[in-house]
Formats: sequence, structure tokens, C-alpha cells
Amino acid sequence: MRTGFGAQLAALAGILMLWEVGVRAFGLGSHVMPTASAVFRDLWANPELMARGIVRTMTETLLGFAIGAAIGFGFGSAFAVSRAFERLLFPLFVLSQAIPVIAFGALVVMWLGNGIWSKVAIATYLTAFPVTVNTCRGMQSVDPQRLALLRSFGAGGWTIFWRLRVPFALPSIAAALKLGISLGLIGAIVGEWFGDTVGLGILLLQAMYNENLPRLWALILVCGAIGIFIYALFEAIERRWIFWKQEI
Amino acid sequence: MANGTADIAAPILQLSNLSMTFESAHVTVVALQDIGIRIGRGEFVTVVGPSGCGKSTLFNILAGLAEPDAGAEIRYHGETKRALELLGQVAFMPQRDLLLPWRRVVDNAILPLQVEGMPRAAALKRAEPLFGEFGLSGFERHYPQQLSGGMRQRVALMRTFLFERDLTLLDEPFGALDALTRSLMQRWLLEVWQKHQRTILFITHDVEEAIFLGDRVLVMTARPGRIKLVLEVPLARPRPSSMLTSPEFIALKRQVLAAIEEESVKSFQQTAAD
Ligand SMILES: Nc1ncnc2c1ncn2[C@@H]1O[C@H](COP(=O)(O)OP(=O)(O)O)[C@@H](O)[C@H]1O
Ligand SMILES: [Mg+2]
Repeated sequence: MRTGFGAQLAALAGILMLWEVGVRAFGLGSHVMPTASAVFRDLWANPELMARGIVRTMTETLLGFAIGAAIGFGFGSAFAVSRAFERLLFPLFVLSQAIPVIAFGALVVMWLGNGIWSKVAIATYLTAFPVTVNTCRGMQSVDPQRLALLRSFGAGGWTIFWRLRVPFALPSIAAALKLGISLGLIGAIVGEWFGDTVGLGILLLQAMYNENLPRLWALILVCGAIGIFIYALFEAIERRWIFWKQEI
Repeated sequence: MANGTADIAAPILQLSNLSMTFESAHVTVVALQDIGIRIGRGEFVTVVGPSGCGKSTLFNILAGLAEPDAGAEIRYHGETKRALELLGQVAFMPQRDLLLPWRRVVDNAILPLQVEGMPRAAALKRAEPLFGEFGLSGFERHYPQQLSGGMRQRVALMRTFLFERDLTLLDEPFGALDALTRSLMQRWLLEVWQKHQRTILFITHDVEEAIFLGDRVLVMTARPGRIKLVLEVPLARPRPSSMLTSPEFIALKRQVLAAIEEESVKSFQQTAAD
């Protein structure tokens, strides 16, 4: 099923090679498509700039993700436990997702200012929804026979929640967290477009205005690398700690 | 009683007039009708009956998970109780092992103790000496998915025994095991029961098992489930497996089989007519 890591690296090297050779062969100017080597040279020449952007955007993403995950877990649990609460608020949650987050961007900046918190808020907003839905669905699908067993031991609602509902829902929550962190990264980058001075989103805008294509591509690669890294990290955590998906 | 400790004069559990009807939009199923039972302290009572006759339903009621029809009387330790009040009062082992896949064997076993509020360390200490007795030594740190069916069942039994209550309900605990493992488990269960002095109500669809284990055998009728026959088993304990071929045993078996046969035919006709 899984191809080796070596083979994957070779494929990546092959694509970069094709890129380099292709751009040269077709004689595309650097204003259309820069060569791979030009992109990596730009990356190499500006480590501090890149590092600052990465740190800032990652901070926004992780903060937004953490807050969004907590909110999602809280509301998802509440929805799962109380049907009345679910009926009351869940439709609002769904409705809120129908509005593109960009529409809120300007508002968030006016409320929270140009600093880090407006981006965190957007990342939070994007993370919270999938986590809410999957927490709620995961907890509602808890095996009724195991629920009955715990009740026969005299377990109350709180015990059942922590000892059964939460672990039972964890595989589905983990899937939402993976999606949530990817959305959070998008939220942070887009959030920066509403105004700031540091961050990958800002660097992207500057590269666009300056028509600096090697920089633009360097940033695209960096964003991609971050996305892959956080996804792989969550995947690894899931494999190691949440192994009972198929057993229930 | 056969083992000399059961005391039917001061029963631990008394049921009378117990019926249970399931009503849904289209159908009404009478699962249990007019059940009356007395279980003495320390008794081992087995329940046999055709499948679908309401055995598991009866256990759900005794575990406090379902309320019977109005008019039923449940007396536990002489006190009249609603079924719901039995939650947490009776050690119940359902038909499936229902182990939690995210907990190791030890942690599955001590689950009821933790639910009662005992700290994990204390619960582990309590459980430790039982692993050998339950044939689980060396498997404490395994996950349930790594165990065979027989071992999983022993974990579930250990969990039930650690939940020390005056009445233990076992719903077909050996139903899914192969014949050899099952007969080993039966003898082992008798040892554990005698050592721990529990009162056990045990469901099975295996007549030999019912007679071999029980002080008394309750035979149930096809749906709606009623008590068709209450049979004393006057066989001495400890019971060696050679007893299975003794004339007394065979005579008892014939009696139970005759009662069951009648019921199974009825149940079959019922299913065909449904
Ligand atoms: N929750 C329920 N709703 C409707 N009918 C049920 C329910 N539980 C059990 N029954 C019915 O009650 C009867 C007895 O079931 P059960 O107690 O599981 O039988 P047994 O354990 O003896 O095989 C069956 O006909 C079953 O279909
Ligand atoms: Mg059953």
C-alpha cells in the first residue's frame, strides 16, 4: 500500500527537475514562471524574512486552532448531550458556515485590530465548525450496549461522558482536527490580507504587488510544506494514540 | 440446596407478576409474561429457553436498564424496588463482552471500580490477585483486540466479579466458545463461584451446561416468555465432568429437553407464522 519514503523523495526530485528543464526549454520569462532554481535561490537568500513569516503565521494558526478546537469540543459535547440545545443552536452553526469567512474579515479587523488576534479569530472560526460537528456526531453514535453496561455499574452522566463518550468520539474528533488545522492555516493567511506587517500572507501580497515571481513561488512552497508538516504530525498522533477506530 | 449454602427461606431476589411488553408503531411484542422467581442467597440458578423468549429482557430489567409493565413486583433483599433502583446494585454481564478497545485488559477489568469512584491505583491492587485465577496472567497490558474470544470473555467475567454485588447476572457467557474451552470455563466458573460465595443467575441455551452448573434450572417458554419448569438439580458438588454421563444427569437432561422441545416447536411455528 505505502510506497517507501525514498521513492516519494525521488518523485519530488523528478518533479523539480521537470520544472527546471521545462521552464528553460519553453523559454518562459521569469515574469510568467520562474525556474525552480530561482525559487530556491530566493528562499536561500532570505532565511530571516521567511522564518519570521512562518513563526507569525504558525502562531496565528495554532492559537486559532487551539481555541477553535476547544470551542468545537465544548459545543459538540453540549449538542450531543442535550437534544434541545442541539435543535436550538445547531442550525445557526450550519448557517454561519454558509457565509464565506472573507465576508467577516473587515469586521474582525475593526473589532480586534490589525494585530495577531484578528487572524486568530478567523482561524478559530474555521476550525470550530468541523470539530463541533464531528464531536457531536461521534458522541451521539456511542454504542448503546456499552452505554447500558456503564449505567448498570451505576455510572452517572459525567462518568459516562468522560469514560465512554469522549474516547468513543475521539477517532471522529481526530479526523475533524486534521481538517481544522488545515483550515486554520488558510484562515490565518487570508486574515493577514486584511492588513498587517508580518506573516506569510503579507509576504504573498508584497510579492504580488512587486511581481516578484520567484518569491511568490517560494512562499507557495513554504505554505505547502507547512500544510504537509501539520497534517503529517496529526496523522502520526492519530496513529499512535487513537487506534481503536475499527474496533467499536 | 445442593451446595448447602443457598437459603431460599430468605431469598435475595423475588419476582412476581413480572411482564414486559414492547410497543412500537406497528407491533406489540409481549416478551415476558407473569414471571415469578425466588432466588436464594448463594444459589446458582440457570435459565434455559428458546432464543427470543425474553431471557435477555429479564436480565435487562434485573440490571435496572428497563422497567417492566405496571403491576410487577421486584423484591431485592426483601425490599420492594422499581427496576430503575437496581442500577448499580446488580453485577450484570451482557451477552457480548463489550470490552472498551481503548483500555488495556487491566483497565477494562477495573472499570466498574473506577465508576464507583475508587482511584486507579487502589483498583489495580484489588484486581491484581485475580489475574491468575481468571487465566489472564501476562496479558494485563494487552488490548482486548489482541485476545482470543475465550480470553475476552474471561476479562468480561473478571470485570463482573470485581463489581462485587449480592447478585450476579451472566447472559450466555460461554455461548460463543468452542466446546472444549467451554467445559474448561464451566468447571472454572464453579470453582470461582464456590470460592467467592456469589449468587448467580446464568442464562444459557445449552441444556447440559444448565444442569451441570445449576442448583436449579428454570426452563422458559417460547414468546411470551413464562417459567415453564423449575427443576431442582440434586447432584452433589463438586461435580466432575464424568457426571455428564451418569444416569441421574441423563434423566434430568431428558426432562429438560422434553420441556424445551415442546417450546422450540412452538417458537418455530411462531416464527414461521410471523
Ligand atoms: N427494545 C426492544 N423493542 C422491541 N422488541 C424487543 C426489544 N428487545 C427485545 N425485544 C423482543 O423481545 C423478545 C425477547 O428478546 P430477548 O430478551 O433478547 O430474547 P432472548 O435473550 O431470550 O433470546 C424478542 O422477540 C425480541 O425481538
Ligand atoms: Mg439473549
